[in-house]
Amino acid sequence: MFFHIVLERNMQLHPRHFGRDLRDKIVSKLMKDVEGTCSGRHGFIVAITGIESVGKGLIRDGTGFVTFPVKYQCVVFRPFKGEVVEAVVTMVNKMGFFAEAGPVQIFVSNHLIPDDMEFQSGDMPNYTTSDGSVKIQKDSEVRLKIIGTRVDATEIFCIGTIKDDFLGVISDPGATS
Amino acid sequence: MPRNDYDDDLEQDEEEYEDEEEEYDDGDDYGRGGGKDKRKRSRSDFIDDYAEEDDEEDEDDDEEYGVATGGRGGKRHRKAASGFFDEEAAVDSDDEEEEEEGEDDFIDTGADIPDEDERRSHRRPLLSREDEGVDVEEMERIIQERYAKSLNVEYVEEATDVEQQGLLPSVRDPKLWMVKCAIGREREVAVCLMQKCIDKGSELQIRSVVALDHLKNYVYIEADKEAHVREAIKGMRNIYPSRIMLVPIKEMTDVLSVETKAIDISRDTWVRMKIGTYKGDLAKVVDVDNVRQRATVKLIPRIDLQALANKIEGREVLKKKAFTPPARFMNIDEARELHIRVERKRDPATGDYYEKIEGMMFKDGFLYKNVSLKSLSTLNVQPTFDELEKFRQPSETGDGDVSSLSMLFANRKKGHFMKGDRVIIVKGDLRNLKGCVEKVEEDTVHIKPSEAGLNTTLAISDKELCKYFEPGNHVKVVTGSTEGATGMVVSVQGHVVNIVSDTTKELLRVFADNVVESSEVTSGITRIGNYELHDLVLLDDNSFGVIIRVESEAFQVLKGVPERPDVALVRLREIKYKIDKKTFAKDRYKNTLSVKDVVKILEGPCRGKQGPVEHIYKGILFVYDRHHLEHAGFICVKSESCMMVGGSRANGDRSANGFTSRFANLRTPPRAPQSPMRTPRGGPINVGGRHGGGRGHDSLVGAVIKIRLGHYKGCKGRVKDVKVDRSHISDNVNVSTPYRETSRYGMGSETPMHPSRTPLHPYMTPMRDSGATPIHDGMRTPMRDRAWNPYTPMSPPRDNWEDGNPGSWGTSPQYQPGSPPSRAYEAPTPGSGWSNQSGSYNDAGTPRENSSAYANAPSPYLPSTPGGQPPMTPSSAYLPGTPGGQPMTPGSGGLDMMSPVVGADNEGPWFLPDILVNVRRPGDDVVVGVIRDVLPDGSCRVALGSNSNGESINAFPNEIEIVAPRKAEKIKIMGGAHRGATGKLIGIDGTDGIVKIDDTLDVKILDMTILAKLVQT
Repeated sequence: MFFHIVLERNMQLHPRHFGRDLRDKIVSKLMKDVEGTCSGRHGFIVAITGIESVGKGLIRDGTGFVTFPVKYQCVVFRPFKGEVVEAVVTMVNKMGFFAEAGPVQIFVSNHLIPDDMEFQSGDMPNYTTSDGSVKIQKDSEVRLKIIGTRVDATEIFCIGTIKDDFLGVISDPGATS
Repeated sequence: MPRNDYDDDLEQDEEEYEDEEEEYDDGDDYGRGGGKDKRKRSRSDFIDDYAEEDDEEDEDDDEEYGVATGGRGGKRHRKAASGFFDEEAAVDSDDEEEEEEGEDDFIDTGADIPDEDERRSHRRPLLSREDEGVDVEEMERIIQERYAKSLNVEYVEEATDVEQQGLLPSVRDPKLWMVKCAIGREREVAVCLMQKCIDKGSELQIRSVVALDHLKNYVYIEADKEAHVREAIKGMRNIYPSRIMLVPIKEMTDVLSVETKAIDISRDTWVRMKIGTYKGDLAKVVDVDNVRQRATVKLIPRIDLQALANKIEGREVLKKKAFTPPARFMNIDEARELHIRVERKRDPATGDYYEKIEGMMFKDGFLYKNVSLKSLSTLNVQPTFDELEKFRQPSETGDGDVSSLSMLFANRKKGHFMKGDRVIIVKGDLRNLKGCVEKVEEDTVHIKPSEAGLNTTLAISDKELCKYFEPGNHVKVVTGSTEGATGMVVSVQGHVVNIVSDTTKELLRVFADNVVESSEVTSGITRIGNYELHDLVLLDDNSFGVIIRVESEAFQVLKGVPERPDVALVRLREIKYKIDKKTFAKDRYKNTLSVKDVVKILEGPCRGKQGPVEHIYKGILFVYDRHHLEHAGFICVKSESCMMVGGSRANGDRSANGFTSRFANLRTPPRAPQSPMRTPRGGPINVGGRHGGGRGHDSLVGAVIKIRLGHYKGCKGRVKDVKVDRSHISDNVNVSTPYRETSRYGMGSETPMHPSRTPLHPYMTPMRDSGATPIHDGMRTPMRDRAWNPYTPMSPPRDNWEDGNPGSWGTSPQYQPGSPPSRAYEAPTPGSGWSNQSGSYNDAGTPRENSSAYANAPSPYLPSTPGGQPPMTPSSAYLPGTPGGQPMTPGSGGLDMMSPVVGADNEGPWFLPDILVNVRRPGDDVVVGVIRDVLPDGSCRVALGSNSNGESINAFPNEIEIVAPRKAEKIKIMGGAHRGATGKLIGIDGTDGIVKIDDTLDVKILDMTILAKLVQT
């Protein structure tokens, strides 16, 4: 789920950046630092949308660096248990398939794939229904439900299921080609 | 009475036997009469027992061996003898014996069968008639009487601890002597001594003889004096009087104390076989006979039917086969096809039918084997899933079902429920009720139901509970083969849970009992000794590899062989040491790769994979691709088959502190963070001086300096000469480290131009770019191409936004030709020493930085970049030899890294004539050429064609790229003390080349970057 929230961060800045564009420097450094990072609490920080406030800088003893507390608005993405997301399949193997929804990797075990879908190995491994009408392979888009998440320092890993109503392939690259 | 002659009753025959029969009847009488004579009584006991056994054997014999002839053999003797001194046999209950005998028949395929046949059949009529029907009840009564009596006696003699203490042997008591005897003859010796005692009466002064089953080769004799022992054993076979040892008083009790090793083997437990063909195999106990210490176990047979058939048909049988046949279920039909006789038998004890082949019993494909309890291992059996699955196969619905509850409880340990565990009730009225464990007592678990409206805790027997998990739970395996692994539950089948391991992304099947909920993330054990998962290690045979998996006592190591993935199982002692040397390698385009750089694999089986470099050793990279499921995601490749993607991350420390040196990717990360306060000249502070040098040092000549370190600290003076520190040559040749390291020469106040210079840049640069850059690049770029890129470590994703990226350096020179002014000023500074530059610094530096280098820094990411070189394109501009860059960059890194002098092309003295180069001109392809001349302005006259027979052109240094020599080629050294010398490259070791110099015939190890292929005309 995406959230638009306000976060705070202390930015350290080298004195050489002090000047009339100090604020710009802080902003660009902030973007560089936080966009794309992941925290367990908030999930992935997708983009910074604005700066709420830049506090008063504090000179650090000994280094000359200055610390500014910056409050910024940002869009974060955090997957939740039970959430239904759409994802792109990145890899299929006999244990299941991996899909990605933005930065989040989701694994769907073959236990969580409907029983009528069978694994077909080969050049393009895939899961296919017995009548061949539905096929999950690399680059398929699937709708799945997240049933578990694991949050690390740098990534969020999820377990998903498509063994439920209204879940499964939503667009199949193989169908058109 | 024949009883006295048991030891030699081999010769005795049926007559005697009949005597015994009479005696037996007598005994019965005595029994009934309540036993008037003590001696008689005991005798009759013995006979009683003996007769019973025989009797039962007979019955069995009836079943199995139809006819037989002849007299009776040794068996009777054996029985008799054992009956004599084996008290156990006397107290056995009837049933047990019956069972025993039954089992005996299953396994007895031995040689003594015919023997038995003969004697049994002869006497059978005598006994069985008598026994059957008539005396059974009577016998039972007698047995019970006797049994009860002995029990009574025991109770009477039950002593308290104190009394027991009083019974301990003292100095006044007879001693125990340990006497050596022939192995296997311990009992015989004891019996012989007893016989001797009976024969000789009081002459023999020994008190007792003890033969212990567990002690081979020795018997204990109790006597007051050693002489008595000697006397007693004189003239006996099988006993060696040479060594008679006294047992210390303290240890005397141990001799006779019974070791109560409770082997709790019960039916349906899983065991493993310790010996024989089935060693290590899982078996299920079907029946236990504690008295005889035997058990019947169910096994998956390992029988080579063909061999069996051969044996039966009397064909040649290979004596000893090295291999054990694979375990598979017995197919009776198959056996029949091979003309093996299959009998169908009913087990008298259980009433089940068995197929009998060659004395082996089969049922449902399983082998039922009677084995000694000692040959079973009950500890840590922990059957794996595979094994259990196999056991399940034939009887799909039977008790072998893996997920069935009997399985669950069969191997459950005590007290494995813990407070907080989520459990489900699997039995009784409350079945399917879920709850949380509140408290655990012995066998009772108090649970708090999770059902709404049920607030009271319930006390439930732990037999009715099972741990409960839901898909998505994060769990840790606490016992079993995958112990320690963590993962997420994907599905639950009964009490079996399927887990996706966190690290390997493999599916694990484990029992719910073996799993606890946990938020920890591990792949199981990750460490043995000093070696940890993902370490690079050197092995015994000088091969090396990365530990990709840690097993209980061994590592799986992905060897450093790029051609194919080679995984070896390596034990701890086979590892020599851990390699944590920081080394570097060159990718296909001669970019220096260091650990953590992201590379793309261009060749080999893993082509197209991409990920950060985890280890570098001897030109081999270990790349971690998280999408690569094999080998824990590690791929071993040659560095040459890779391409660096994005910028070098060598400096690693990409956090906000602005200290990072962008030059780290040249050779090493900076050793000391460069504080801007120390000295404005950042470069020389690199104390190691490895990249602090370059020809930049030559520029020190003539400069006014102040000595910062050493004897002359504080002295000021003018630099006269810069010498080369020899010791540094080998690892950094083109950077000639000065005799007194330049780093020690702080630029004093006498050189005002230098200090003043540094602060200038920050002011200038931001003015230029601040307006534009953050908006264009800052706002969009990351989202487009960096933020979601899975290969960039997430944390600070935009390392290449603005700061010096090698790619940008590489491209920046491309602009040089188009910006003549910046070149122009360079022309007059051919030697390009510092001295020249520093003089013209302020004016020279500024235009150059702003116009070309800095402005171009982000260019590789702008589609409009002319020249369109891929960021990887190597350029001499940032080869380690690049002089200008290093010494001049002040505490660089950080936010507004202008790439100032990096693009500076003081390449003048860099090239030498007669070397093979690639010339790249804008718009043109890369052409091979040979440098003919180096012009004073630093540009070179290059004759095109590898033999220099093509046209001559003038090329700027930044368009020229040295062609790396191969092994055994002639080279020219481009830098360092031997600059200009020619030689032969005799070997390549990673980034270093081993060079034999022509003039001196010295062998030197030089950096490959300063070696160029020599073309002689």
